[in-house]
Amino acid sequence: MKQYVCSVCGYVYDEAKGVPEKGIAPGTRWEELPQSWVCPWCGAGKGSFREKKEETETAAETPAGETVSPISEEMRELSPMEMSVICSNLAQGCEKQYLPEAAEKYRLLAEFFRKNGEREEEPSLEEVARLVKKDLEIGYPYGHSAASAAADRGALRSLVWSEKVTRMLDSLLDRYETEGPGMFKGTGVFVCTVCGFIYVGDIAPELCPVCKVPGWKFERVEGGTR
Amino acid sequence: MAEKYAVRNLRLCTKDCLCLYVCPTGASDTENSIIDKEKCIGCGACAEACPSGAISMVPKKMPPQQPKEKKVEDALRVLIRSKNRQETIAAALPGVLARAIVRSARLTAEDLCREGGYMLPQSDQAREFLLSVRNLPGIPEEAVSSLLEEFFGGRTE
Repeated sequence: MKQYVCSVCGYVYDEAKGVPEKGIAPGTRWEELPQSWVCPWCGAGKGSFREKKEETETAAETPAGETVSPISEEMRELSPMEMSVICSNLAQGCEKQYLPEAAEKYRLLAEFFRKNGEREEEPSLEEVARLVKKDLEIGYPYGHSAASAAADRGALRSLVWSEKVTRMLDSLLDRYETEGPGMFKGTGVFVCTVCGFIYVGDIAPELCPVCKVPGWKFERVEGGTR
Repeated sequence: MAEKYAVRNLRLCTKDCLCLYVCPTGASDTENSIIDKEKCIGCGACAEACPSGAISMVPKKMPPQQPKEKKVEDALRVLIRSKNRQETIAAALPGVLARAIVRSARLTAEDLCREGGYMLPQSDQAREFLLSVRNLPGIPEEAVSSLLEEFFGGRTE
């Protein structure tokens, strides 16, 4: 009997135990779980699970020969959207220090830069999915090796959280490709306002599976256009 | 000017009102429950008296940010750029998943940006950023100059 670990929240599916309270009998093999089965903690799809091995394998995660700086010529200057994020982030920083007027000013600037950002010619969820997969394949491994080399635990923390959030999004986009908008029929969509984790379910989870803040920090997302 | 000021966590406040009794200036008695920073003299009496632990004392002057290595900043920026594009694309699409992506991509980019050198509004990085953008065409100038004034006393050198 094998065990499988959810790469988003750490939940372990144990074939020997199953999930009897959810109708999965003990002894149910991983392959026998339906393709639509999702993690009982965070809702990630089967694709987000990895088989649990006895010894921990961390060394193999670092990409070999990745020494070139990922910054291209075009990236030397901050883009309008980067500036928008700097401002909306500093707005949050002001809010946490109970400086609402300063927060409002940074929000105004964030909006100014966002409106100056580039537009997408042909927007599609497929393109988002492609970017998400690229982040998981290149961006995060590179970030982890750079932050580990610098022993920067703060950066590692943000990389771990946002990588998990990105894995969840990857899993949702995979599901969306086969199920379409129907997958949100009769269910809610929630976003953790601290780490950005997206949760599909009737009510927000008690604790965020990624950053562990209480459920009231989640915000329900409604459909429609921006 | 006091070195600290009191802030109240509205989630923890159970309206026991002891802060009102002990505050020598009435700073904690406000209709919106946010302690009046102008009136607060930073004595800490309210934080000590609060039975719910809802008040903490925040320093007015923050320590310098943790130094960041260029290589780490660059690696984070690559991801921030990708999250920016995910947000922009999703913003142009309908549907609940697209709305969630707009929000989520922004939040993750903000968090990466925080660890990439922009944690504190009081930091040198924030000041340099404001100085670098204040003359951009169309920028809300008043917002930039008042932020420079509030956090850096208007220093522009």
